[in-house]
Amino acid sequence: MKKVSAQLAAWLFLTPYLLSTVVFLLWPLAISFDLSFKQTFGPGHAEWIGWDNFRFLLSDPLFWKAATNTAIYAACSVCIQLPLSLCLALLLNRPRLWAKGFLRLVFFSPSLVGLVFVGVLFSMLFEKRTGLLNRLLVVFVPGFNIDFAWLESYVMVSLVLASLWLYVGFNMVYFLAALQNVPNELVEAAMLDGASAWQRFRHVVLPEILPVASFVVLLSLIGSFQLFELPFILLNGAGPDNQGLTIVMYLYSTGFVTGDLGYASAIGWVLSLVLMMFAAGQRWLVRKLEK
Amino acid sequence: MKRILGFFAFVRDYRELFSPGIVIIFAIFAITLPIVATRVTQEQMGIQFWVFAKQHADAYRPLIEEWNSQQHSLPVNLQLIDYQAMERRMLSGFMSGTPVADLIEVERHMIGRVFSGPLEAVGFVDLTQYLEREGLMDKINRPSFSPWTTRGRVFGLPHDVHPVLLAYRADLIEAAGIDMSRIETWQDFVQTLRPLMYEGSTDGRPIRYLLNIWHTQRDTIEMLMVQAGGGLFNERDEIDFLQEPNVEVLATIATWIGGPGRIALDAPRFSASGNKLILDGAVLATPVPDWLAGIWQYELPDLHGKVKLMPLPAWKPGGRRTSVLGGTMLGISKSARDFESCWEFAKSLYLSPQLAEKFFRESHIISPVKEHWKLDFYHQPNPFYCGQRTGSLFIEQAPQVPRRTSSPFSMMALDALGTVMYRAVEFAEAGKISDPKALEDIVQQLLVEEEERIKRQMGRNVFHRTNLQVKRQ
Repeated sequence: MKKVSAQLAAWLFLTPYLLSTVVFLLWPLAISFDLSFKQTFGPGHAEWIGWDNFRFLLSDPLFWKAATNTAIYAACSVCIQLPLSLCLALLLNRPRLWAKGFLRLVFFSPSLVGLVFVGVLFSMLFEKRTGLLNRLLVVFVPGFNIDFAWLESYVMVSLVLASLWLYVGFNMVYFLAALQNVPNELVEAAMLDGASAWQRFRHVVLPEILPVASFVVLLSLIGSFQLFELPFILLNGAGPDNQGLTIVMYLYSTGFVTGDLGYASAIGWVLSLVLMMFAAGQRWLVRKLEK
Repeated sequence: MKRILGFFAFVRDYRELFSPGIVIIFAIFAITLPIVATRVTQEQMGIQFWVFAKQHADAYRPLIEEWNSQQHSLPVNLQLIDYQAMERRMLSGFMSGTPVADLIEVERHMIGRVFSGPLEAVGFVDLTQYLEREGLMDKINRPSFSPWTTRGRVFGLPHDVHPVLLAYRADLIEAAGIDMSRIETWQDFVQTLRPLMYEGSTDGRPIRYLLNIWHTQRDTIEMLMVQAGGGLFNERDEIDFLQEPNVEVLATIATWIGGPGRIALDAPRFSASGNKLILDGAVLATPVPDWLAGIWQYELPDLHGKVKLMPLPAWKPGGRRTSVLGGTMLGISKSARDFESCWEFAKSLYLSPQLAEKFFRESHIISPVKEHWKLDFYHQPNPFYCGQRTGSLFIEQAPQVPRRTSSPFSMMALDALGTVMYRAVEFAEAGKISDPKALEDIVQQLLVEEEERIKRQMGRNVFHRTNLQVKRQ
């Protein structure tokens, strides 16, 4: 009797979670999977079109442009942003650093303001003629053209710069937490054995922070592949010649501007597949490195 | 019964699991659940009317009060809803059959989505027969119907005409002794004003530009294309990027924006930086529809007495001196409870001379009802525009306003136009091209590529396949 009651209670406690998961996650997932094989105009008008959405996606130049832009941005996130975050964390983890707490706050604070604010801020900064950057360059660089359009000529660079400002400090916090968990005695033992700073980092610190680092890499990749608000606000859309178009922006535009929910679902499923592959790859790599 | 008792026994045995917090949460859940479950949404009485623009709502309120006081069977309830929220609610309602307002004011960029399904799925009542029966097709400026027409059927009562004129800095141009009335074509405009770009420059660089246009201002570029008689869609709403004047117009605009012959500056509407450039005189002329001419009076009061309006320069001598930008309609949703009352109210509102006067005085918008154009208030001098009779200027051009598409693919096509322009400008920059003729082949090639891409997208729409695409040999 007691066993039955305990089981009943467990199910009772699980019910709200299970219900919300079914209603808000599994059911929409199933619907979107179904949608990806259809073309619709509201629930009243749906036509089964088989694999057409996926077939079209493979030959859609805009999808590939969005995928390429997203991949470049993701690569920049991992290859520029994360090393910078790690460097900052190493710097701010030094025991005798002056104003450590203040500096940590300064580097972390951009992530408090959010993507939309950063988008607006950088769009004003990069503005032709009236933007701060061009105003400064005109003063310090002789012959600089005040009409130079950063957001037209260097779309990806502008995007990466804005995201660096936003995320470097944010990721630094993860690395900082990981560095603080590296046992001091290991580092000191390495020092006594005559290991250089690089050797200590390479052979003692890095293996210790590897699980956190791989987690941050995965988070950055997922975040990069979901990039939407920053280019949308910064470039006021996809930017010239769709140079700032990302996969999620394309998904939004096909689903909610063009109204092709079936095609948008297909894009969403392909994106999910890519992210799942990244997650699996990350797990495989971490296990291999740990061994 | 045994099970319930068993459950209570379990609660007694494991009471440490039930902290006060959990008990409170369960209590709130138990109390609120029946309240929420049994709550009956109060049905809104009368005709529901959604608008997205505050200016419109403010103008309509006195007329609605008057209508409601006249003991009509159904009173009108006006609701001002944010643009995007209204678009979402309207489209969701149309697509899912959930309630929407009886009357909805729709902006031009919203309508494509409404028309993207089969004709019978359009959420608005087809007004064609009512408009014809009551002679409104002739009473209202005909081009104003075009954005609200799909597959030959009209789904809304037009709110405006939105003719476009050219606003120019009279203080700077006339001080240089230039008579703008002698300018007839865009070629004249560029040739006559170009010296002003360098007037006062010490390093040989332009200190100001002649025209406010950029490759990112896609709707302005489209506006100039339709002025020339072209456009992205032909008269049958088929996609047709290669219509006669398109290549020439786009090549010309590309040389205005990039290359050694540049005359254009980007001063975007509704932006602080754009307004500052206009105020600073960094750009001498801007194409302005009637509504923008009204907005300038409020947003840029420092321009008072410094700007004048003139008809747009034509693309060819004797050509059209205006174009069209923006637009709104009033539609009656199919779920409207009393169509006749809605129709009567819609007519009384949109055909009202009082409303026409209010709109013109407050926002400079011209009524599409042709008989109103004779009314006095349209022909008064306007001190902001150096005493010009601006209403008369817009009205003179109103009948020549070109038709526009209502295609559900218009936004997609506009994006493609942005891509074409950007690449054409890049070519002009890279090749230092200032002669439009030298750019025409490239522009044509770019248009063909983008048209093909859009056609492939259009070809996928199973609801809209009929006669939307022009066959090109």
